[in-house]
This record gives sequence, structure tokens and C-alpha cells, in this order.
Amino acid sequence: MLHLLKVDLKKLVDYRTFWIIVGLYFFMLCMGAASGMEFLKWLASLIEGFGQKINITRIPLYHFPDIWQNLAWAGGLLKMGLAIMTVISITNEFTYRTVRQNIIDGLSREQFLLSKVMTNLVLAALSMGMVFLIATVAGLIYSPELDFPYALTGIAFYPAYFLEVFAFLSFALMLGVFIQRSGLTIILLLNSYLIELIIKENIDDAVPQVIPFFPLESIMNLVPMPLARYAFQEIRDYVTIESIAIAAAWAVLFNYFAYLKLKKSDI
Amino acid sequence: MLGPNGSGKTTTLGMLMGVTNPTAGHFTWFGQPPNHQLRKKIGAVLEHPIFYPYLSGQKNLELMALIKEAPVENIPRVLDLVELTPRRNDKYRTYSLGMKQRLAIASALLNDPIVLILDEPTNGLDPMGIAEIREIIRRIAQDGKTIILASHLLDEVQKVCSHFAILRKGNLVHTGPVDEVGKGEETVEVMAFHDDLPIILETFPGTALVRKEGTHYVVKMKDGFHSLELNRYLFEKGIVVNHLVTQKKSLEKQFLEILAEADHAALAKG
Repeated sequence: MLHLLKVDLKKLVDYRTFWIIVGLYFFMLCMGAASGMEFLKWLASLIEGFGQKINITRIPLYHFPDIWQNLAWAGGLLKMGLAIMTVISITNEFTYRTVRQNIIDGLSREQFLLSKVMTNLVLAALSMGMVFLIATVAGLIYSPELDFPYALTGIAFYPAYFLEVFAFLSFALMLGVFIQRSGLTIILLLNSYLIELIIKENIDDAVPQVIPFFPLESIMNLVPMPLARYAFQEIRDYVTIESIAIAAAWAVLFNYFAYLKLKKSDI
Repeated sequence: MLGPNGSGKTTTLGMLMGVTNPTAGHFTWFGQPPNHQLRKKIGAVLEHPIFYPYLSGQKNLELMALIKEAPVENIPRVLDLVELTPRRNDKYRTYSLGMKQRLAIASALLNDPIVLILDEPTNGLDPMGIAEIREIIRRIAQDGKTIILASHLLDEVQKVCSHFAILRKGNLVHTGPVDEVGKGEETVEVMAFHDDLPIILETFPGTALVRKEGTHYVVKMKDGFHSLELNRYLFEKGIVVNHLVTQKKSLEKQFLEILAEADHAALAKG
């Protein structure tokens, strides 16, 4: 397993595009996470312009335990950046035909796919670690008091966030294996939310109970949007077993479909 | 392995190397059913060289060594063999076609393979490149490795191979040693300053047919007769020749004949 990871990383460490995309992604992640406070300040100044005053320190965006879910959700918005890297990594193998040479050289088709899945696991883990680190640091800075174990409620959103990123990268990998052209795959990936939305809208009245089982919907459901709570609305601020089960099943299916396709095609 | 374009040479090799799924039939490698572990002991380049263009030759070989579980210490040796050491740190995409082909051969040799598979290794090369690759192949063969060479360049096969097989439209139509290609009836070119030469040639018991071609005569011999006997016969008749060439059947001629026969058989079958 580790050997396969080493094989795939060896292809990436000397690939400049990889560093640019992954570097940009992590930079955006840090910027995105840090900009919440700036957003609040901007909001306050805007409202002040209308003659009202709000106390931004009363909105606990960066306070434990709210920050866990807030940042896990915000981080999830950026996963497309990593997914594009996954697409480039797999479609390169088809455009350069190196997948063929890898098999000739002695990888089995399963091993080839597994080497890509391993990289996806590593990228998802790095992303989770990064968001977790930012959340911890920001939480320590901004939280008025540390009240354990209350401060740690919602920390379960981090394994859920890991699954969210990994499932989405698996989706991207599967699209790459099926389409094999980077441009086309990225376009479809970017439009996949829209396509799913159209389907959902059309069947919402007839069979609303199947909506949570849609692939991208299930991935989004892992960490629900938390901001509505600051407008005094009810939100789900815990991880549900169903959401984990559905998204995990999709992650397995995406990789399995990719495997089936790779298995039966001539390369 | 010979055959016209599209006869199935690369497809056959692709199946042997696990990249093309066979629709029927089976094969074994070293007496074992095929698996990816066995492929690590075979060095193969199918069609054109395939590498990561953004990696240097050295890095490409390192990656390949990782996949094949070959020792990295082999890399300098194979790079030396194909004379790419000075360019090893340049990106693969900057290589000329000849260098790419040579790197492919180096990569195939990385794991001290038992069998080496080369598919059109001189395709698209200039005469110097072809000679270089041919020299490398001969050097490798001297080390006692089995080389499977797919080509449609008959001259090349005749120069470097010991056995050959001919494919046509996915069917095997002939196999045999290359040495045997020249066997069979001989044709001899003769020239001498003697007016009676054609008449005397006709009287030689081994003559099947005499034909004049420009300044010399071409004698088609009966089976079992050789140019040696003809020469002796002419000398006994007092003729000293100033030109005597034994024409052996070339692989090219044999190849075309076999293909024509196969076509004929296919037609007859309907």
C-alpha cells in the first residue's frame, strides 16, 4: 500500500502544476478561514452606514465550539481546488498513455487505481489537518473562555470533513477514469452540482425522500451550512450516522465504478 | 514477429503484457498463468516510447525502478548502455526521437529482464539512429537475453533475429528459423567473356532455366545443385567466369510469398 503511494507521489513531487494547484488550494484555505473576521468587520461598517450598530464580538463565528463546524463547512466549499488536481493527475496518465506503461511495467490495474486513491486519502487528510489547525489556533485566539469539554462539541465534524473531501476526490477520480480528457472532466465536475440540482428540483415534489441519497447532496450533508444559526434559525450542529453512511457508500461506489471501467477497458 | 501494418503485432504483445484484454484464448509466461508480478521481470516497449514528459530521463527511470521493484543502482548502467548519461537530467520532452527510443530501451533493461520485448524500436529513426539501436540490440542479445522484436522492417529482422513468425490479419501464418530462409533452389548470376556461354550453361545438368539480364546470365538451379558445381563445370569446359553471384532468397521475398500464399488460402476458403 505504502509502496503504491510512493509510486504516485513520485509522479507528483517533480510536477510543477501539482505544487501550484495544491499550494493555491492551501493558501485559499488559510485565507478563507482567516477572512471571517474581516467579513464581520465589513458587515459592521456597512450596517453602521445605515446608522445602526452591531457588536461583532457578540457573533461567535470564531468561538469554541462554533468554530469547528463553521470552518469545516467553509473549508468544504474549496474542495473543488483539490478535485481539479485529482482530475489532472489521472487524466495525465491517459493523455501521456503512461497508465499503459505502468501496467506493462508490472502494476496491476487495481494497484494503479489504488495508488491514486492513496494520494486522495493523503490530500484529504492534509486538508482536514490544515482546517483543524486553523480552527484550533483561531479558536484559542478569539474564544473569550475555554470551557471543556463544551468547547470540543462538534469536533466530530472533522472526520466528517475528511470523508467529505475524500468522497468528492473519489468522484473526481471516477469522472477522470471515465472521460480521460482533463478539460472535459473539469467542465463536467464544475457543472455536476448544477446537473444534480436540476434533477433534484424535478423530482422534489414526487419523491422527496430520495433527495438525501443523491451523491453530491450526501457529500454536502456531512457538514451542514451553519451560518443560519446567527439569524436565530435552527440548524443541525451534529454529525449524523445516516449522512456518514450514505456518503461513505458513495465514496466506495465511485472508486468501485472507476475500478470496473479500468478493469474492462483496453489501455 | 513480422506482419504488415494492422496485422496484430502490437495487439498480440499488448495482450501478453496485460494492457489489451483478449476476447478468447490463453497464454502462459515461463509456464505460469500471467500476472502483474511476472511482468516486472519482462522489459517491454510497445509502439512508441511512453514517459512522463515533465520528468527528466533519470527521474523517469527512478519511477520505473520503483514500479518494477528494481534496484536504483541499475540506472547508471542502463543509461550508459544507451549513451544517455550526459542528458539524463534533462526533461524527457526535450529529447529527440532517437533519444526517446534509447531511453525506452534503457527502461526495458532496468530490471535485468529475462525477456525483452521491443516493438518497432527503429520506427521513425534516421539511418544513424537505426544503426545505433541495432547495435544496442545485438549487444543485449550477446548477454544471452531473449528478445522478441516486432517489426515490419524485414531487413532489420534478418540482421538481428534467429527465429521469425509472420502474422496476417491476426492469424499466425508462418514460424521458422531465419537461417532457413535462404534454403531451397539457388539462383546464380554468371558473366564471362565467352560467346558459347549460354549454350554451355544450358548443358549443365543442374540448370533449370537460363535467362539473360543485361550483361549477365541468370541461371535458376535445380534443387540440390549449387553454384560451386556450376563453377567447376564451366571451368572444365574451359570457361573462366569474371562474375559469379549466388542469390539467396531474402526474408523479404519469402515474407511476400508467405503472405501471398495465406491470401490465396483465405480466398480459396471463401
